[in-house]
Amino acid sequence: MLATWKYRPRDTYVQRLDPRTRLIFLVCVIFGVSLAGIWDMRIILPLFLLTLALFLMARVPWKDMKRTLIYIIVLVVVIVGINGLLTGRGGPTAVLRTPSPTLFEVPIAIPGTQIGVWIPVTVSRAWFAVVQILRMLTMALLAIPLPFTMDPNIYGVTFRRLGIPDKVSFAMDLAFRFLPTLARDFSTTMDAQRARGYELERLGGGLFSRIRKLAPLIIPVTMQSTVTAEEVVDAMDLRAFGTAPRTWVRSLQYAPRDYALISLGVFILAGCLISRYAFGFGQFWVPDFMYSLVP
Amino acid sequence: MNDQGTWKFGTREVVYGALGAALYGVFSLATNIFPLPAAGNITFRPAVAVLIFFGVAFGPWVGLLAGFIGNILGDALSGWGFYWHWSLGNGLMGMIPGLVAGSIKDFRARPDIIRAVVWGIVGIAVGMLFASLMEIFMGGIDLSTALVGYFTPAFLGNTLVTIILLPILMYAFAAVAARRGR
Repeated sequence: MLATWKYRPRDTYVQRLDPRTRLIFLVCVIFGVSLAGIWDMRIILPLFLLTLALFLMARVPWKDMKRTLIYIIVLVVVIVGINGLLTGRGGPTAVLRTPSPTLFEVPIAIPGTQIGVWIPVTVSRAWFAVVQILRMLTMALLAIPLPFTMDPNIYGVTFRRLGIPDKVSFAMDLAFRFLPTLARDFSTTMDAQRARGYELERLGGGLFSRIRKLAPLIIPVTMQSTVTAEEVVDAMDLRAFGTAPRTWVRSLQYAPRDYALISLGVFILAGCLISRYAFGFGQFWVPDFMYSLVP
Repeated sequence: MNDQGTWKFGTREVVYGALGAALYGVFSLATNIFPLPAAGNITFRPAVAVLIFFGVAFGPWVGLLAGFIGNILGDALSGWGFYWHWSLGNGLMGMIPGLVAGSIKDFRARPDIIRAVVWGIVGIAVGMLFASLMEIFMGGIDLSTALVGYFTPAFLGNTLVTIILLPILMYAFAAVAARRGR
Protein backbone atom coordinates (compact mmCIF):
# COMPACT_ATOMS: atom_id res chain seq x y z
CA MET A 1 0.00 0.00 0.00
CA LEU A 2 1.26 3.41 -0.90
CA ALA A 3 0.40 6.23 1.52
CA THR A 4 0.79 9.41 -0.45
CA TRP A 5 -0.18 12.90 0.52
CA LYS A 6 -2.65 14.70 -1.64
CA TYR A 7 -0.58 17.84 -1.15
CA ARG A 8 1.35 19.29 -4.08
CA PRO A 9 3.17 22.62 -3.77
CA ARG A 10 1.72 25.22 -6.15
CA ASP A 11 2.32 28.92 -6.47
CA THR A 12 -1.23 30.05 -5.78
CA TYR A 13 -2.81 32.74 -3.63
CA VAL A 14 -4.33 30.08 -1.38
CA GLN A 15 -1.00 28.35 -0.75
CA ARG A 16 0.75 31.64 -0.11
CA LEU A 17 -1.63 32.24 2.78
CA ASP A 18 -0.46 31.40 6.28
CA PRO A 19 -2.08 28.04 7.18
CA ARG A 20 -3.41 29.59 10.39
CA THR A 21 -5.29 32.15 8.34
CA ARG A 22 -7.07 29.44 6.42
CA LEU A 23 -8.13 27.57 9.55
CA ILE A 24 -9.29 30.77 11.26
CA PHE A 25 -11.29 31.78 8.19
CA LEU A 26 -12.81 28.30 7.97
CA VAL A 27 -13.88 28.39 11.61
CA CYS A 28 -15.30 31.92 11.26
CA VAL A 29 -17.47 30.96 8.27
CA ILE A 30 -18.64 27.65 9.77
CA PHE A 31 -19.52 29.20 13.12
CA GLY A 32 -20.99 32.30 11.50
CA VAL A 33 -23.42 30.22 9.48
CA SER A 34 -24.16 27.48 12.01
CA LEU A 35 -24.13 29.32 15.37
CA ALA A 36 -26.18 32.21 14.06
CA GLY A 37 -28.59 29.80 12.34
CA ILE A 38 -28.41 31.57 9.00
CA TRP A 39 -30.98 30.26 6.50
CA ASP A 40 -31.45 33.37 4.37
CA MET A 41 -30.31 32.97 0.78
CA ARG A 42 -29.40 36.67 0.68
CA ILE A 43 -26.59 35.87 3.13
CA ILE A 44 -25.85 32.28 2.08
CA LEU A 45 -25.39 33.05 -1.61
CA PRO A 46 -22.63 35.70 -1.21
CA LEU A 47 -20.84 33.40 1.24
CA PHE A 48 -21.14 30.50 -1.17
CA LEU A 49 -19.72 32.61 -4.02
CA LEU A 50 -16.85 33.74 -1.78
CA THR A 51 -15.90 30.21 -0.76
CA LEU A 52 -16.32 29.03 -4.36
CA ALA A 53 -13.87 31.75 -5.44
CA LEU A 54 -11.35 30.62 -2.81
CA PHE A 55 -11.91 27.02 -3.86
CA LEU A 56 -11.18 27.85 -7.50
CA MET A 57 -8.17 29.97 -6.51
CA ALA A 58 -6.64 26.87 -4.90
CA ARG A 59 -6.30 25.54 -8.48
CA VAL A 60 -6.35 21.89 -7.47
CA PRO A 61 -6.70 19.75 -10.62
CA TRP A 62 -10.08 18.11 -11.15
CA LYS A 63 -8.56 14.64 -11.37
CA ASP A 64 -7.08 15.03 -7.87
CA MET A 65 -10.29 15.85 -6.07
CA LYS A 66 -12.81 14.29 -8.45
CA ARG A 67 -13.71 11.43 -6.12
CA THR A 68 -14.17 13.63 -3.08
CA LEU A 69 -16.20 16.25 -4.91
CA ILE A 70 -18.52 13.71 -6.53
CA TYR A 71 -19.10 12.07 -3.16
CA ILE A 72 -19.84 15.36 -1.41
CA ILE A 73 -22.17 16.53 -4.18
CA VAL A 74 -24.05 13.23 -4.21
CA LEU A 75 -24.36 13.32 -0.42
CA VAL A 76 -25.49 16.92 -0.29
CA VAL A 77 -27.79 16.92 -3.31
CA VAL A 78 -29.26 13.44 -3.19
CA ILE A 79 -29.42 12.66 0.51
CA VAL A 80 -29.71 16.06 2.19
CA GLY A 81 -31.37 17.94 -0.69
CA ILE A 82 -34.06 15.36 -1.45
CA ASN A 83 -34.72 14.87 2.25
CA GLY A 84 -35.23 18.62 2.61
CA LEU A 85 -37.45 18.71 -0.49
CA LEU A 86 -39.72 15.90 0.64
CA THR A 87 -39.82 16.42 4.39
CA GLY A 88 -38.72 20.02 4.96
CA ARG A 89 -36.90 18.84 8.05
CA GLY A 90 -33.37 19.56 9.18
CA GLY A 91 -33.72 23.31 9.19
CA PRO A 92 -35.69 26.05 10.91
CA THR A 93 -39.23 25.30 12.01
CA ALA A 94 -40.44 28.11 9.75
CA VAL A 95 -40.12 25.74 6.77
CA LEU A 96 -42.86 23.52 8.12
CA ARG A 97 -44.93 26.06 10.06
CA THR A 98 -45.34 28.73 7.40
CA PRO A 99 -48.41 28.00 5.22
CA SER A 100 -47.13 27.47 1.72
CA PRO A 101 -48.80 26.44 -1.57
CA THR A 102 -47.96 23.12 -3.17
CA LEU A 103 -45.65 23.21 -6.17
CA PHE A 104 -46.07 19.57 -7.18
CA GLU A 105 -46.63 16.15 -5.66
CA VAL A 106 -44.18 13.27 -5.58
CA PRO A 107 -45.89 9.87 -5.83
CA ILE A 108 -44.34 7.18 -3.69
CA ALA A 109 -46.40 4.15 -4.62
CA ILE A 110 -46.04 0.45 -5.35
CA PRO A 111 -45.23 0.24 -9.10
CA GLY A 112 -48.28 -0.60 -11.21
CA THR A 113 -50.72 0.15 -8.41
CA GLN A 114 -52.37 3.16 -6.80
CA ILE A 115 -51.23 2.05 -3.35
CA GLY A 116 -48.94 4.60 -1.80
CA VAL A 117 -48.70 8.22 -0.74
CA TRP A 118 -48.37 11.46 -2.64
CA ILE A 119 -46.00 13.80 -0.88
CA PRO A 120 -46.70 17.49 -1.50
CA VAL A 121 -43.62 19.57 -2.23
CA THR A 122 -44.43 23.07 -1.09
CA VAL A 123 -42.77 26.31 -2.13
CA SER A 124 -41.10 26.51 1.30
CA ARG A 125 -39.67 23.00 1.08
CA ALA A 126 -38.38 23.47 -2.47
CA TRP A 127 -36.62 26.71 -1.56
CA PHE A 128 -35.35 25.21 1.70
CA ALA A 129 -33.73 22.32 -0.22
CA VAL A 130 -31.86 24.79 -2.44
CA VAL A 131 -30.73 26.86 0.57
CA GLN A 132 -29.62 23.80 2.47
CA ILE A 133 -27.57 22.47 -0.44
CA LEU A 134 -25.77 25.80 -0.88
CA ARG A 135 -25.30 26.16 2.88
CA MET A 136 -23.56 22.79 3.14
CA LEU A 137 -21.47 23.37 0.04
CA THR A 138 -20.33 26.74 1.43
CA MET A 139 -18.71 24.96 4.35
CA ALA A 140 -17.47 21.92 2.39
CA LEU A 141 -15.75 24.04 -0.27
CA LEU A 142 -13.52 25.54 2.41
CA ALA A 143 -12.66 22.19 3.98
CA ILE A 144 -12.07 20.04 0.89
CA PRO A 145 -8.99 21.82 -0.56
CA LEU A 146 -7.07 21.81 2.75
CA PRO A 147 -5.29 18.44 2.36
CA PHE A 148 -4.45 19.27 -1.25
CA THR A 149 -2.98 22.67 -0.48
CA MET A 150 -1.49 22.50 3.02
CA ASP A 151 1.99 21.08 3.57
CA PRO A 152 1.77 18.13 6.02
CA ASN A 153 5.06 19.25 7.56
CA ILE A 154 3.50 22.40 8.96
CA TYR A 155 0.41 20.92 10.58
CA GLY A 156 2.19 20.70 13.95
CA VAL A 157 3.58 24.21 14.02
CA THR A 158 0.27 25.55 12.71
CA PHE A 159 -1.68 24.09 15.61
CA ARG A 160 1.02 25.24 18.07
CA ARG A 161 0.87 28.79 16.80
CA LEU A 162 -2.90 28.65 17.11
CA GLY A 163 -2.46 28.12 20.84
CA ILE A 164 -2.63 24.31 21.05
CA PRO A 165 -0.17 23.05 23.73
CA ASP A 166 3.33 22.04 22.69
CA LYS A 167 2.94 18.34 23.45
CA VAL A 168 -0.29 17.96 21.50
CA SER A 169 1.17 19.84 18.54
CA PHE A 170 4.30 17.72 18.68
CA ALA A 171 2.19 14.56 18.79
CA MET A 172 0.59 15.72 15.57
CA ASP A 173 3.99 16.42 14.04
CA LEU A 174 5.27 13.02 15.16
CA ALA A 175 2.23 11.25 13.71
CA PHE A 176 3.04 12.65 10.29
CA ARG A 177 6.62 11.42 10.63
CA PHE A 178 5.51 7.93 11.70
CA LEU A 179 3.18 7.57 8.78
CA PRO A 180 5.61 6.63 5.95
CA THR A 181 7.35 4.11 8.23
CA LEU A 182 4.10 2.46 9.22
CA ALA A 183 2.87 2.44 5.64
CA ARG A 184 6.10 0.67 4.65
CA ASP A 185 5.72 -1.82 7.53
CA PHE A 186 2.17 -2.45 6.42
CA SER A 187 3.32 -3.16 2.84
CA THR A 188 6.08 -5.47 4.08
CA THR A 189 3.62 -7.37 6.29
CA MET A 190 1.15 -7.63 3.44
CA ASP A 191 3.84 -9.02 1.12
CA ALA A 192 4.92 -11.53 3.78
CA GLN A 193 1.33 -12.68 4.30
CA ARG A 194 0.73 -12.89 0.57
CA ALA A 195 3.75 -15.17 0.30
CA ARG A 196 1.81 -17.42 2.69
CA GLY A 197 -1.28 -17.33 0.48
CA TYR A 198 -3.14 -14.45 2.14
CA GLU A 199 -4.97 -12.06 -0.18
CA LEU A 200 -6.66 -8.97 1.17
CA GLU A 201 -8.65 -8.51 -2.03
CA ARG A 202 -10.14 -12.00 -1.83
CA LEU A 203 -11.29 -12.21 1.74
CA GLY A 204 -14.23 -14.55 1.61
CA GLY A 205 -16.85 -15.61 4.09
CA GLY A 206 -19.38 -13.61 6.05
CA LEU A 207 -18.98 -10.28 7.71
CA PHE A 208 -17.49 -11.66 10.93
CA SER A 209 -15.11 -13.88 9.02
CA ARG A 210 -13.90 -11.05 6.80
CA ILE A 211 -13.14 -8.82 9.76
CA ARG A 212 -11.40 -11.61 11.66
CA LYS A 213 -9.24 -12.37 8.64
CA LEU A 214 -7.81 -8.85 8.80
CA ALA A 215 -6.03 -9.76 12.02
CA PRO A 216 -2.90 -11.19 10.27
CA LEU A 217 -2.36 -7.74 8.79
CA ILE A 218 -3.30 -5.50 11.70
CA ILE A 219 -1.78 -7.37 14.63
CA PRO A 220 1.88 -7.64 13.45
CA VAL A 221 2.06 -3.99 12.37
CA THR A 222 0.44 -2.73 15.58
CA MET A 223 2.56 -4.87 17.90
CA GLN A 224 5.82 -4.11 16.12
CA SER A 225 5.06 -0.40 16.29
CA THR A 226 4.49 -0.53 20.07
CA VAL A 227 7.98 -2.03 20.44
CA THR A 228 9.47 0.73 18.27
CA ALA A 229 7.57 3.36 20.26
CA GLU A 230 9.36 2.36 23.45
CA GLU A 231 12.68 3.18 21.80
CA VAL A 232 11.35 6.56 20.68
CA VAL A 233 10.13 7.29 24.23
CA ASP A 234 13.57 6.48 25.62
CA ALA A 235 15.32 8.64 23.02
CA MET A 236 13.02 11.58 23.72
CA ASP A 237 13.35 11.22 27.48
CA LEU A 238 17.13 11.21 27.14
CA ARG A 239 16.86 14.53 25.31
CA ALA A 240 14.68 15.93 28.13
CA PHE A 241 11.56 16.24 26.03
CA GLY A 242 8.83 18.26 27.68
CA THR A 243 10.96 19.89 30.34
CA ALA A 244 10.94 23.29 28.62
CA PRO A 245 9.03 25.00 25.80
CA ARG A 246 10.21 23.61 22.48
CA THR A 247 11.16 25.42 19.32
CA TRP A 248 10.02 24.58 15.80
CA VAL A 249 12.13 24.38 12.66
CA ARG A 250 9.50 26.05 10.51
CA SER A 251 8.32 29.51 11.44
CA LEU A 252 5.05 31.08 10.35
CA GLN A 253 4.63 34.72 9.52
CA TYR A 254 1.42 36.61 8.82
CA ALA A 255 1.46 38.80 5.71
CA PRO A 256 -0.93 41.65 4.87
CA ARG A 257 -3.07 39.24 2.81
CA ASP A 258 -3.49 37.11 5.93
CA TYR A 259 -4.69 40.04 8.00
CA ALA A 260 -7.11 40.91 5.23
CA LEU A 261 -8.63 37.41 5.09
CA ILE A 262 -8.77 37.06 8.88
CA SER A 263 -10.52 40.44 9.07
CA LEU A 264 -12.99 39.27 6.46
CA GLY A 265 -13.60 36.07 8.44
CA VAL A 266 -14.17 37.98 11.69
CA PHE A 267 -16.46 40.39 9.82
CA ILE A 268 -18.49 37.43 8.48
CA LEU A 269 -18.74 35.84 11.93
CA ALA A 270 -19.69 39.09 13.66
CA GLY A 271 -21.97 40.10 10.80
CA CYS A 272 -23.90 36.81 10.93
CA LEU A 273 -24.30 36.94 14.71
CA ILE A 274 -25.30 40.62 14.83
CA SER A 275 -27.69 40.47 11.90
CA ARG A 276 -29.38 37.40 13.32
CA TYR A 277 -29.59 38.26 17.00
CA ALA A 278 -29.66 42.06 16.95
CA PHE A 279 -31.81 42.63 13.87
CA GLY A 280 -33.55 39.28 13.37
CA PHE A 281 -32.24 39.14 9.80
CA GLY A 282 -30.98 35.82 8.45
CA GLN A 283 -33.91 33.55 9.22
CA PHE A 284 -35.53 31.38 6.59
CA TRP A 285 -36.91 33.54 3.80
CA VAL A 286 -38.68 32.63 0.56
CA PRO A 287 -38.39 35.03 -2.41
CA ASP A 288 -41.57 36.16 -4.14
CA PHE A 289 -40.68 34.64 -7.50
CA MET A 290 -40.99 31.16 -5.99
CA TYR A 291 -44.74 31.71 -5.52
CA SER A 292 -45.14 32.56 -9.19
CA LEU A 293 -44.05 28.99 -10.00
CA VAL A 294 -47.17 27.55 -8.37
CA PRO A 295 -49.35 26.05 -11.13
CA MET B 1 2.15 -0.54 31.24
CA ASN B 2 -0.45 0.88 33.62
CA ASP B 3 1.75 1.82 36.52
CA GLN B 4 1.29 5.55 36.01
CA GLY B 5 -1.68 7.81 36.71
CA THR B 6 -4.58 7.57 34.31
CA TRP B 7 -4.38 11.26 33.36
CA LYS B 8 -0.60 11.59 33.22
CA PHE B 9 0.51 13.34 30.04
CA GLY B 10 4.23 12.83 29.43
CA THR B 11 6.56 11.65 26.70
CA ARG B 12 5.01 8.20 26.57
CA GLU B 13 1.54 9.60 25.95
CA VAL B 14 2.82 11.92 23.24
CA VAL B 15 4.62 9.10 21.41
CA TYR B 16 1.86 6.51 21.73
CA GLY B 17 -0.76 9.11 20.82
CA ALA B 18 1.19 9.93 17.66
CA LEU B 19 1.76 6.27 16.89
CA GLY B 20 -1.92 5.42 17.40
CA ALA B 21 -2.87 8.31 15.13
CA ALA B 22 -0.50 7.18 12.38
CA LEU B 23 -1.76 3.59 12.62
CA TYR B 24 -5.36 4.78 12.56
CA GLY B 25 -4.62 6.81 9.43
CA VAL B 26 -2.77 4.00 7.63
CA PHE B 27 -5.31 1.29 8.44
CA SER B 28 -8.25 3.54 7.57
CA LEU B 29 -6.71 4.22 4.19
CA ALA B 30 -5.98 0.54 3.57
CA THR B 31 -9.39 -0.82 4.48
CA ASN B 32 -11.64 1.67 2.74
CA ILE B 33 -12.42 -1.12 0.27
CA PHE B 34 -15.03 -2.64 2.59
CA PRO B 35 -18.29 -0.75 2.24
CA LEU B 36 -20.86 -1.32 4.97
CA PRO B 37 -24.02 -3.02 3.66
CA ALA B 38 -27.07 -0.71 3.61
CA ALA B 39 -25.06 2.42 4.24
CA GLY B 40 -23.29 3.49 1.10
CA ASN B 41 -21.25 6.28 2.62
CA ILE B 42 -19.92 4.35 5.62
CA THR B 43 -17.02 1.93 5.33
CA PHE B 44 -15.75 -0.64 7.77
CA ARG B 45 -12.90 0.76 9.78
CA PRO B 46 -11.07 -2.12 11.45
CA ALA B 47 -8.74 0.67 12.57
CA VAL B 48 -11.33 1.57 15.21
CA ALA B 49 -10.32 -1.56 17.12
CA VAL B 50 -6.70 -0.33 17.08
CA LEU B 51 -7.82 3.09 18.32
CA ILE B 52 -9.76 1.59 21.21
CA PHE B 53 -6.89 -0.73 21.99
CA PHE B 54 -4.54 2.27 22.30
CA GLY B 55 -6.99 3.89 24.70
CA VAL B 56 -7.34 0.75 26.79
CA ALA B 57 -3.60 0.03 26.85
CA PHE B 58 -2.13 3.51 27.23
CA GLY B 59 -4.82 5.70 28.74
CA PRO B 60 -7.36 8.37 27.83
CA TRP B 61 -4.94 11.01 26.51
CA VAL B 62 -3.43 8.52 24.09
CA GLY B 63 -6.91 7.46 22.95
CA LEU B 64 -7.98 11.08 22.51
CA LEU B 65 -4.87 12.05 20.56
CA ALA B 66 -4.89 8.91 18.43
CA GLY B 67 -8.55 9.39 17.49
CA PHE B 68 -8.45 13.14 16.98
CA ILE B 69 -5.17 13.35 15.08
CA GLY B 70 -5.69 9.99 13.37
CA ASN B 71 -8.98 11.12 11.88
CA ILE B 72 -7.45 14.40 10.67
CA LEU B 73 -4.65 12.36 9.16
CA GLY B 74 -6.93 9.77 7.57
CA ASP B 75 -9.10 12.53 6.08
CA ALA B 76 -6.00 14.32 4.82
CA LEU B 77 -4.67 11.15 3.21
CA SER B 78 -8.01 10.43 1.58
CA GLY B 79 -8.45 14.05 0.50
CA TRP B 80 -11.66 14.59 2.45
CA GLY B 81 -10.93 17.89 4.11
CA PHE B 82 -11.06 18.93 7.75
CA TYR B 83 -14.16 18.17 9.82
CA TRP B 84 -13.36 18.99 13.42
CA HIS B 85 -16.52 17.45 14.90
CA TRP B 86 -15.86 14.03 13.36
CA SER B 87 -12.24 14.22 14.50
CA LEU B 88 -13.34 15.11 18.03
CA GLY B 89 -15.92 12.30 17.91
CA ASN B 90 -13.15 9.87 16.99
CA GLY B 91 -11.06 11.31 19.83
CA LEU B 92 -13.88 10.63 22.31
CA MET B 93 -14.17 7.12 20.89
CA GLY B 94 -10.54 6.51 21.91
CA MET B 95 -10.58 8.49 25.15
CA ILE B 96 -13.56 6.88 26.90
CA PRO B 97 -12.18 3.31 26.80
CA GLY B 98 -8.96 4.83 28.13
CA LEU B 99 -10.71 5.55 31.41
CA VAL B 100 -10.41 1.86 32.30
CA ALA B 101 -6.73 1.64 31.36
CA GLY B 102 -5.70 1.72 35.01
CA SER B 103 -7.95 -1.20 35.94
CA ILE B 104 -6.82 -3.55 33.17
CA LYS B 105 -4.32 -5.79 34.93
CA ASP B 106 -4.13 -8.79 32.64
CA PHE B 107 -4.67 -8.38 28.92
CA ARG B 108 -5.40 -12.11 28.59
CA ALA B 109 -7.97 -12.32 31.39
CA ARG B 110 -11.53 -12.69 30.18
CA PRO B 111 -13.06 -10.17 32.66
CA ASP B 112 -10.52 -7.53 31.62
CA ILE B 113 -11.14 -8.20 27.93
CA ILE B 114 -14.91 -7.98 28.42
CA ARG B 115 -14.51 -4.73 30.38
CA ALA B 116 -12.36 -3.27 27.61
CA VAL B 117 -14.87 -4.27 24.92
CA VAL B 118 -17.81 -2.85 26.90
CA TRP B 119 -16.02 0.47 27.48
CA GLY B 120 -14.99 0.45 23.84
CA ILE B 121 -18.64 0.19 22.82
CA VAL B 122 -19.54 3.01 25.23
CA GLY B 123 -16.79 5.09 23.64
CA ILE B 124 -18.10 4.35 20.16
CA ALA B 125 -21.63 5.29 21.20
CA VAL B 126 -20.57 8.60 22.78
CA GLY B 127 -18.08 9.54 20.06
CA MET B 128 -20.31 8.75 17.12
CA LEU B 129 -23.37 10.27 18.80
CA PHE B 130 -21.44 13.49 19.43
CA ALA B 131 -20.27 13.70 15.81
CA SER B 132 -23.70 12.78 14.42
CA LEU B 133 -25.51 15.30 16.61
CA MET B 134 -23.00 18.03 15.76
CA GLU B 135 -23.86 17.35 12.13
CA ILE B 136 -27.32 18.80 12.93
CA PHE B 137 -25.70 22.18 13.64
CA MET B 138 -22.93 21.97 11.08
CA GLY B 139 -24.83 20.43 8.19
CA GLY B 140 -28.39 21.38 9.00
CA ILE B 141 -29.71 17.81 8.92
CA ASP B 142 -32.56 16.72 11.18
CA LEU B 143 -32.36 14.50 14.24
CA SER B 144 -33.70 11.37 12.55
CA THR B 145 -31.21 11.68 9.67
CA ALA B 146 -28.41 12.16 12.20
CA LEU B 147 -29.46 9.08 14.15
CA VAL B 148 -30.47 6.77 11.31
CA GLY B 149 -28.19 7.92 8.51
CA TYR B 150 -25.02 8.70 10.43
CA PHE B 151 -25.01 7.33 13.97
CA THR B 152 -26.56 3.88 13.51
CA PRO B 153 -24.36 2.55 10.68
CA ALA B 154 -21.22 4.05 12.21
CA PHE B 155 -22.05 2.63 15.63
CA LEU B 156 -22.91 -0.85 14.36
CA GLY B 157 -19.89 -1.12 12.05
CA ASN B 158 -17.43 0.11 14.68
CA THR B 159 -18.95 -2.08 17.40
CA LEU B 160 -18.63 -5.15 15.22
CA VAL B 161 -14.93 -4.64 14.50
CA THR B 162 -14.28 -3.86 18.17
CA ILE B 163 -15.96 -7.03 19.40
CA ILE B 164 -13.98 -9.14 16.94
CA LEU B 165 -10.55 -7.50 16.82
CA LEU B 166 -10.04 -5.89 20.24
CA PRO B 167 -9.70 -9.21 22.13
CA ILE B 168 -7.16 -10.42 19.55
CA LEU B 169 -5.15 -7.19 19.91
CA MET B 170 -5.21 -7.43 23.70
CA TYR B 171 -4.09 -11.03 23.66
CA ALA B 172 -1.22 -10.24 21.29
CA PHE B 173 -0.21 -7.22 23.38
CA ALA B 174 -0.02 -9.33 26.53
CA ALA B 175 2.62 -11.49 24.86
CA VAL B 176 4.58 -8.49 23.59
CA ALA B 177 4.47 -6.75 26.98
CA ALA B 178 5.57 -9.90 28.78
CA ARG B 179 8.51 -10.32 26.41
CA ARG B 180 9.47 -6.67 26.81
CA GLY B 181 9.27 -6.84 30.57
CA ARG B 182 7.50 -3.48 31.11
